[in-house]
Formats: sequence, structure tokens, C-alpha cells
Amino acid sequence: MSAAMRLAGYADTFGVHPGETIKFMINCDGPKEFKAEIVQMINGDTNPRGPGFIEKPVPGGLSATVPGRKQVIHSGSYGYVADCPQLRVESFTLQCWIWPTAPKTHPKYWKHGAQGLVTKWSDGKGYGLFINEKGHVEVRVNGVSLESPEPVRDHAWHFVAATFDAASGELILYHEPQVHYALDPVIPPVTKTISDKIAHASIPAAIAAYTEAVSDDPTAQSSVPAGIVLAGKYNGKIETPRICSTALSRQDIETMKLGAQPGLTERRNSGPTGPLSEVIVAAWEFSDGIDTIKGTDFGPYRLDLEFVNLPTRGMTGHNWSGTVFDWKEAPKQYGAISFHDDDIDDARWEVDFEWQVPADCKSRSYAAKLTTEDGDEDYVPFWVVPEIGKEQSKIAFMVPTISYMAYANEHVACNAGAAELFIYRVPIMQHQNMFLAEHREYGGSIYDTHTDGTGICFSSRLRPILSNRPKYDHFLAQAPWQYPADLHLIYWLETMGYEYDCITDEDITYDGLARLENYNVIITGSHPEHNSGTQLDALHNYTQRGGRLMYMGADAWYWVHSYHPAYEDKGRGVITEMRRCESGIRTWRADPGEYYHASTGELGGMWRFRGRYLHSVAGVGMSSEGFDVSSYFSRTPESNNPRVSWAFEGIDYEEMLGNFGLVGGGAAGLELDIVDFTLGSPPHTLTVATSAGRHTEAYLLVTEDFGFNQQGLDGTTHPRVRGDIAFHETPNGGGCFSFSSIAYCGSLPWNNCDNNISKLTANVLNHFMVDGPLPPAPESEIRARGRADGDAKNTDLIPAQ
Amino acid sequence: MQSIPKKGTPEREALIQAHLECTQSMKGVAGFSILKCETPGDTTVISGGVHDDPLLKRVLLRMRGESMAGKLIIICTEVEKEWRIGRLSGVRGVPPEFVDDRVFTDEQEVQHEIFLMRLDELPETAGMPEHYQEGWKHRDDNWPVT
Repeated sequence: MSAAMRLAGYADTFGVHPGETIKFMINCDGPKEFKAEIVQMINGDTNPRGPGFIEKPVPGGLSATVPGRKQVIHSGSYGYVADCPQLRVESFTLQCWIWPTAPKTHPKYWKHGAQGLVTKWSDGKGYGLFINEKGHVEVRVNGVSLESPEPVRDHAWHFVAATFDAASGELILYHEPQVHYALDPVIPPVTKTISDKIAHASIPAAIAAYTEAVSDDPTAQSSVPAGIVLAGKYNGKIETPRICSTALSRQDIETMKLGAQPGLTERRNSGPTGPLSEVIVAAWEFSDGIDTIKGTDFGPYRLDLEFVNLPTRGMTGHNWSGTVFDWKEAPKQYGAISFHDDDIDDARWEVDFEWQVPADCKSRSYAAKLTTEDGDEDYVPFWVVPEIGKEQSKIAFMVPTISYMAYANEHVACNAGAAELFIYRVPIMQHQNMFLAEHREYGGSIYDTHTDGTGICFSSRLRPILSNRPKYDHFLAQAPWQYPADLHLIYWLETMGYEYDCITDEDITYDGLARLENYNVIITGSHPEHNSGTQLDALHNYTQRGGRLMYMGADAWYWVHSYHPAYEDKGRGVITEMRRCESGIRTWRADPGEYYHASTGELGGMWRFRGRYLHSVAGVGMSSEGFDVSSYFSRTPESNNPRVSWAFEGIDYEEMLGNFGLVGGGAAGLELDIVDFTLGSPPHTLTVATSAGRHTEAYLLVTEDFGFNQQGLDGTTHPRVRGDIAFHETPNGGGCFSFSSIAYCGSLPWNNCDNNISKLTANVLNHFMVDGPLPPAPESEIRARGRADGDAKNTDLIPAQ
Repeated sequence: MQSIPKKGTPEREALIQAHLECTQSMKGVAGFSILKCETPGDTTVISGGVHDDPLLKRVLLRMRGESMAGKLIIICTEVEKEWRIGRLSGVRGVPPEFVDDRVFTDEQEVQHEIFLMRLDELPETAGMPEHYQEGWKHRDDNWPVT
């Protein structure tokens, strides 16, 4: 079965200022037209036990009928350089190192067929090196091909080269595995004589693809170069490709592995020898410009490549020694690029409509609502963000857009065999998941693996993000997750009558403290897991100076992210990068030596292993996760401490806090944070409520908290499987209140927001949003406290006489 | 590795009954587990199911760890209203296919239907030396993909 999602789109930005214009790019495949409206998003959850889906019309909003057109995504990464006389060779030598990851694919695989390595070939004209449909290296001259007698081994380095001598017509193909196992066959060079001259077409030279068609079709305009559609997108690494204009001897091919080496010719020519310098067409070094999307040619013609769809750089090469781990320290050992047939950097669709945000528009959560008369529907979320200095409210909701990007178009339910084991039930796929299962060109999330099984470490916002939608339940929760889950909080803010601004992760990453300091309180989303360093800096600086932070969820401040600088010309925060290194909850694991981000050169992985403990940001850090059902919180004696007892006004001590809700059926669920002084919680943090002892066996301790796998790690047995609601003061009258559960916000809307979770949250927000510093703690609370030693004078826990 | 009780045995019937009771008690919960809500649709007090029955727990773990190729899955065909049973292809780019025409009007009920289908579909025993095959050496079970 296939799922028809004929109507889907994206915007050019997540956040837009009042007075600015936001553009929308839409695929409307079938219907002649669609209706576009701007709506304010209030609640995205369709659960009949909650308030139901709610949107509101927007004053000054758009309502237009827009002609529909089909727009497609040309996914799969490659490099190309435009056609030029030097590439129109009569004879050639093509060579490179390869580490293929999917040389043989299932006949039904979405891009089954030959894969391009180094090509200037299309439709029977030109020349190129390929891996053919059978998984053998192949050289093509026009319509003639010559294949290696043995298939390439996947996930292994091979040196491959081909020569063609126009005078003799001799074509030779070399396939030389780097490692030869005892029972591997010897693979001799193969030859063939052909009478053809190379026919040249007006097509680019391509790395990791070949030209399929030159087309006037409007859908070909979103390809790069526009109108030239590439196919045969390769899965795997390519390193040091070279093109020479004569058929070199095997010895000269060996020398050409060195590439252009002017140093070897006393800098008199491009080298590596005088004669070879005379035949170099291109000698690319991917070790240069790792943080760019340019492939530098060190040959005489400067035929630099442009990379499309962001292949992964900073990848270990065939010569990686295992003694350096940071590409910046030894770029020559990181000369490989990893290409994937489902990479995507930008859908590059045409603009279908735009909306100029009124100058007096409220900062809120909005969406472009798209509908057709045939019943098609899509929503494209965005946020109106005030300019710095023009804040509209005392409260700001920090929209976790990096986390939305990390989860964008997630495929885990249908990709990962073990997904059922961690959710503890059969996953439910929504129609968005069905569409994505077929349309891999929309790209995956950072939780997924590429179609070749390699982990996805980039996510772009310039594509339809079908998981970032209202009316969408995520398989992990069987309930809203991320964007629609955060709308539970928006619904609560709206229902309770609070005025609030919306600011995004992007804003804080780029603007730092300036984005935060004019607010009295910052409210997070339910799961702000993915963060840039400058964002964490800003949050720390904010609370240090007296700002107040309400951390509304769990598993935050977990992964290191960086925005890719090569896309800054397209806007802020277009592509985010993350590497899953040696610890943390990981749906894939980076290969050895590939822990450093290509975009910024910083070490990826968990902030914890960069010495930045999760618990240091808001007082709690993730300790366990489970995805079956939620539980509830109970107050602790510390909730009676006058430092925090104001938060529980109107709530009895014995009340079950949140034994209801729209996420797992309770406020304590999915992922849970705890207080731990030894992991960075300030030693004066008060644990005011906990869900200890109530979680199911589906809840398991996080992997980074144990070094030895053993029984007893689940919710029925392990004391650290719990959520701790916590409070601590920060200097200058600031404070942090952490609710420590992703499911928490799902309880806010219950019973029209008339419940004890809503009460607790409102008490905290009302206390935090006031102007000026918070009241100081009593003098008696100022004392030395240990980390592992704890607080021996904690009178809340000393039984009354 | 845990065997699946044979058809018609009291052990199998007991598993089916326990699974059904848990499933029914979870109706209305925005989540799901094979545990029994003391009050239907309310997770305040939950017990039984996989917490009390090691056989049920292990049979379910075996089912859940199966490879993606041919694995049964739930597909929501109309939000909050209709669900059907599909089968994953195990091939990237090939979406799941419906296994039959049945349309369910409760998302939790499908969990039990899939449990019944798997009891019949899965081999009684698996993962023992006599089941050894080449794929064990190259991860063809796809287990590590999380």
C-alpha cells in the first residue's frame, strides 16, 4: 500500500519577525489548486479525552487560493563540476578509493541499480567509473562496459581505476581491495578493446552519481544544476578521485594516488611528476574544506566540485591510522566523504505563496493551513518571534526547534527491528509514516539510519517535516511527541490567559543572552534534548543573572549540536549536525574516529562527556526512559520547605500529582529526569515530588549511568528509574523549576486545565513571572553542602520531635 | 530461547486470556502496555501482565525482537477512528502492506489481534543451535538497529 500525501510543504524559516515576510513552498500533486490560510495553533492533539484539535483565525492572516503544482525532491548526495573542454577527454585514467556500503541492493530497493563513482556519462554517452547493479566495479565508455570479475566487498576499502587509450581502443579496469583475506580470490585487471571514440554530451562531471537526464520538466528545476537530473546516487565513501587525460601505466596510476603535489617538482608545476602534471584534468582532495560544501581540485584547472545534499565529511580515509581522532589534527587521514542516496540539504522548491506578518502581530505559534476540496490537508508550523528589544510579554516559550529537526521525518517504527522492544507494544504508523516509508527522498531524522544503514547525522529544515504536524501521534508515545506535545503547553498558556512570546533555539543560538534577558521567565518545551553550545551558554548566563527557567519536560541538554556554516546564506539554522558517539541512548553509533562534527570541528556526542552535565542547566538530568504507560508524582517532605512551599498552595500533601493525562495516562512518563548532586545538580536543589517506585519494567536506566550490563535496571527494581520534580534558586533572585518528565505537559489540558498539575505549574509561573528578583531564601538555608556528602542539615528530612 | 506454547495447550490459552484482559483494560489510555489497569483506562494502579507472568513477558520479547521483514505493524488509516494491520517489507522504500481487510475501531484491540497472529505465525522454537544459519554472522536479524 502507498499513502497519498499529495499536499505537503515547508517554510523558508521557523521564526519570523513582525513586519517580515515568510515564504511557503508546496507540493500539490494532483489537485489544481489549494487553499492557504494562516492560523494560530492552540492544540494539536485529537485525543477525545482532551480538548481536541484547536486552531484560531489570525487577524491580518492570509486566506488565498493558490494554483497547485507538483514539486519533487531530488535526494542523494553527490558532487559535480560543470562541463568544460578539459573534461571532454579522448583518452582517460579515472581513479579513486572507495568504501561502498550498499554495493548490492534488493531488486525492490528504492534506488536499485548502478551507482556512479567518477562519471561524465549519460544515456550511453561519455565515460565513467561505476558500481553496477550486480555489485561489481565497472567502467563505461559510451554504451560499452567492462566489469571487474569479482564483486566489491561492502564496508571495505578498495582502490579502483580505469584507463582508456583512444589510439589503441584498449580499456583496462583495476579493482584492488586494500585487505586481502586468506581465501579471497586474486582480482587481475581486465581489458577490452573497443573501437568507439568517447561521445561527449553537455553534462557535468559527477562524483557519486551520474547524469540521468537533461530536462525542461518543471520538477527538474529543483535538481542541482537546475534541469539536470542525476541518478545512480552512490552509498559509501569516496576518497581522492582523479581524472587524467591519458591512459596511465599502473605505475603512474600509483604515483597519481599522491595527487597534485607541486612540492615533489620543486613547485615548478602541479606534480606529482613533471609528465603527470601535464595530463592531470582534476585531482580532488576532500581533506580540504571539510567544513564546506566545496570539493577542492588541486589540479591545474581548479575544477572545484560543488556538493549537493550534504554528504558527510570528516570521515576516516583508507589511510586512517587510529592514532588521531579529530579531523582538524590530521586532515589527510580524513580525506573521505560518505555519500548516501537519501541525503537531503534543501528541497529547493519554488515559492507558492508568502505572508507578510503584520507589524503588530502577536508572538505566537502559527501554521500555514493547506487544504484542497478533495480533502487533502497539511499544516506548516512556524513562530512569530519578536525582535530583540521589542518583546511583547514577560514570559517566553523557548520552541525547541533543534529537537524538532533532530526528530524530523523519523522512520524508526519501520526501520528498526527492535523498536517494539523499547516501546513495549506494536508501533502504530500514521499516514505520514506510511508516506515517508515510500518516499525516502524526504530524508530521515537523526534517529534513523540512512538507507545503507549508516547513521544520519544531519537534518535540514528546508523540506517538508511531516512529523512536525498537529493531529500526529508518534509511535514512541502513542500520543503527541515534540511539536504536537508542546501544543499541550500552548493550549494551557492560552486557556489560563497568560501572555507569552515564542522564541526558537535558533534565536538563542545566534543571539545568545540578548534573546533571553528581557524576559522574567523562560519556559521550555517537553523534550528539548538537542542543543547548541551557545544556547546552553545563554541559558546559564540568564539564570546566573537572575533569570527564571521552567523546564517543562525531560531528557534535555543531552546532545551536542551545531548548525552547518555552509548554509548560512540560506538563513539561520538551516542544517543541524549531531554525532552519536560512545555513550548515551543511541539509535545508531558513529564509527571510530568519526566523532568530530564536520560543520564546526567540535567533538560531538553527549554534552555530559564534554564536561557539561545535563543536571547543571536546570537542576535535573535524564536517568531513565520507557514508552509504554506513564505514572504520577507524590510530594516529598522537601515540598514543605518555605523556599518552595508556595508552589504547592492549594495542593494537599497526599494528592496524587498527575495520575491522569494525554501522554501515557499520567504526568510521569516517557523520559524522566532526577536530581543528582554528583552529576551537576546544585547542592541546594530541593526534590519536591517524585514518581519513584511506580514505573513499569519497560522503563530502563540510561546507558551512560552504568558500565556493566546487568539485571535490575528497570522500573520495577532500580531506584534511579523515577522522575524528580525539583527547584533551586540561582544567584540574583533567579531560579529553576524542573518538572522532569516528557509526559508532564500532557496532563496540563486534562479536565479543561482544572487539575493539580495545572495548579502546580500556574503557581510556579505566577511566582517566576513577577518583575524583580525572587524573595531571598531564609538565612538558615545558607550553609555548606556536599555533593556526594549531601546536606546533613536538611531539616525537611529530619523527623519532627 | 523461550519456546512458544503449542496450540491448544492450557499455557497458551492462559497467555491469550491474560493478554486480552490487559489489552481491554488499556482502552482509553494514551499509551499501552501488557499490564492490567485496576480501573479501566486509568494507569494509577497497574499490575499483572508482564510483571507477573514470566512466560508472557518472554514470549512477547521474542515477538518484539523479530526482524522487520514481514513483521506485523499497526497502521492508523483515519485519525482516532480506524486502524488496520500491515506487514513491514524490510526493504527501504517499500512501504508496509495491509494483511487483510479488517478495520478496527479501537487502537488497543489491534495489539491483541497481532498477538494472536504471531502466536500462530512464529515457529515454536528459534535461536537454538539447530537453527544456525549464515545470517547469524552478518546481522541479518537486524536486532542491533537501535
